[in-house]
Amino acid sequence: MRHALAIARRELQSYFVSPIAYAAVTAFALLSGYFFNSMVVYYVRQASLADRQIEQLGRSDLQLDVPTVILEEFFKNQGSFVLLLIIPLLTMGLLTDERRKGTLELLLTSPVRPVELTFGKFLGALTLFALMCVPTLPYWYFLAQGGDWEPGVVLAGYTGLLLLAATEIAIGLFISSLSENLLVSALGTYGVLVAFNFIDTSASMTRSIWVDFIQFLSFHFHNAEFARGVVALRDITYFAGFLALALFLTQRSIESIRFKRS
Amino acid sequence: MISVRHLTKRFGSHVAVDDLSFEVAAGEVLGFLGPNGAGKTTTMRMVTGYLPPSQGTIVIDDCRLLQQPIEAKRRLGYLPENPPLYPELTVRQYLQFVAEIKDVPRARRRVCVDRAIDQANLREVAGKRIAALSKGYKQRVGLAQAIVHEPKVLILDEPTSSLDPKQRVEVRDLIATLRGEHTVVLSTHILPEVSQITDRVVIINRGKVMAVDSPDNLSQRLRGREDITVEVGGAIAAAVRDAIAAVPGVTGVDVEDAGPDRVTARVQSDLGTDIRGDVARTLANRWRLLGLRSETLSLEEIFLKLTGDSELKLTGDGEQKLTGDSDQS
Repeated sequence: MRHALAIARRELQSYFVSPIAYAAVTAFALLSGYFFNSMVVYYVRQASLADRQIEQLGRSDLQLDVPTVILEEFFKNQGSFVLLLIIPLLTMGLLTDERRKGTLELLLTSPVRPVELTFGKFLGALTLFALMCVPTLPYWYFLAQGGDWEPGVVLAGYTGLLLLAATEIAIGLFISSLSENLLVSALGTYGVLVAFNFIDTSASMTRSIWVDFIQFLSFHFHNAEFARGVVALRDITYFAGFLALALFLTQRSIESIRFKRS
Repeated sequence: MISVRHLTKRFGSHVAVDDLSFEVAAGEVLGFLGPNGAGKTTTMRMVTGYLPPSQGTIVIDDCRLLQQPIEAKRRLGYLPENPPLYPELTVRQYLQFVAEIKDVPRARRRVCVDRAIDQANLREVAGKRIAALSKGYKQRVGLAQAIVHEPKVLILDEPTSSLDPKQRVEVRDLIATLRGEHTVVLSTHILPEVSQITDRVVIINRGKVMAVDSPDNLSQRLRGREDITVEVGGAIAAAVRDAIAAVPGVTGVDVEDAGPDRVTARVQSDLGTDIRGDVARTLANRWRLLGLRSETLSLEEIFLKLTGDSELKLTGDGEQKLTGDSDQS
């Protein structure tokens, strides 16, 4: 575990001198801010419209709890779009760079186990993502100015976001262990994440056991539950299982690199 | 300190290292010589635990590498052919990270990093990013990471191959200072380097050991006889040849005129017979003895002889044998 922490710390050091990390942090802050602002503007307008309808007609079809709707939409949006753009940038170099620079040879000839290397890399990227979320915390203060919201819903939203990000980082980490080319790593991760995020979009029209199964595989489906403020064991188990599988595959992939001819 | 027995590495049907065995004593500097593609790097990678062997055993300071990899790796420092560096870190940050993953206790980490910085002469660039350093300095940083945890065994894979002559001398001098403190295995194809800093050499070709001995012994064993060259003044060639031929132990003499009033003679004797004193006395009694030197094969000649003729193999007992391994690929 000591080695994993050292590797995670080194990863963070490298992130903060790399332009890619600054680009990812900036993109995350800009996109999050843009979407939050757009949602606030949109739903406040909708709420004003509803108020005018009530004034003029005595009733309105628009029944909006603005802070709650914004919370739900914000976390769903972060999971489906923002993470999709940011995670491949964060993970593409994780093991690809170690292979390219030859530093994997340093790590694997040190008393470091592949599982420690895997966990250290994962922890480094997840810590950076958690730090990227910090600038979104003031949003809830601003939102509180416009009405009450449940702190539990925000907590559930962040829990879902972190679990989703952790799973996607683990997938990106695994894919980065397969290639020595950054572009291949990034595009490979992007492809897999798009597939798992939107696998349920074509299935939502009809219902059958297969449709339910496909929906169950979807990241979006499980994240939506957290975004609604529901923390269910089923969704936690889903992300934890996916995460464990991706980390296990990464560890095996690192071990297999040593068997390849170079 | 290092014992390698029957080491074999196969990549599919290709045998990169074939039944390779050698030992390295504590404090010894062993040169690992071979042409490109001979299996040097593959062997180094197996000895450091990076590549698992297909067959064979590796013991580092009484730790069996395959059974106790973590223990064995703590005793190893390794500099691969391309130094494994994080260019975005400063030299000090990098060495601190390496010290941490090499299990240097927290209390000793600063001392060990400072010591490695001093040994590798990196004090003036310790705060600089590695990306900004010259190739020579990067190689020194690579060496510093290999010694930062004070390992008993150092494995250096072609540490000077990509450097200019000045940087090469600097790095070679640095390696020379590590002698005695560490057991060093040094792979290279730069031959003068081997004769300058190694005690013994292992010559491999096509994954097989062709010879293991000191450069001097290899020279004698390959030649199969002792040769000396003498230069005499005030003499004629025929008289010199007759005088030398009469010395006990001499098995052959070739003479030639080397200018006005000067004769040069190459004198052969059996391996292990030292005729230099008798020859010198005989010549000095009659003429002016201008010079006498023992002839040895240069390492280049040894290397070419062994790696160019794949059927020639020097075994540990000092005999030349025809091994018939020329058809492996």
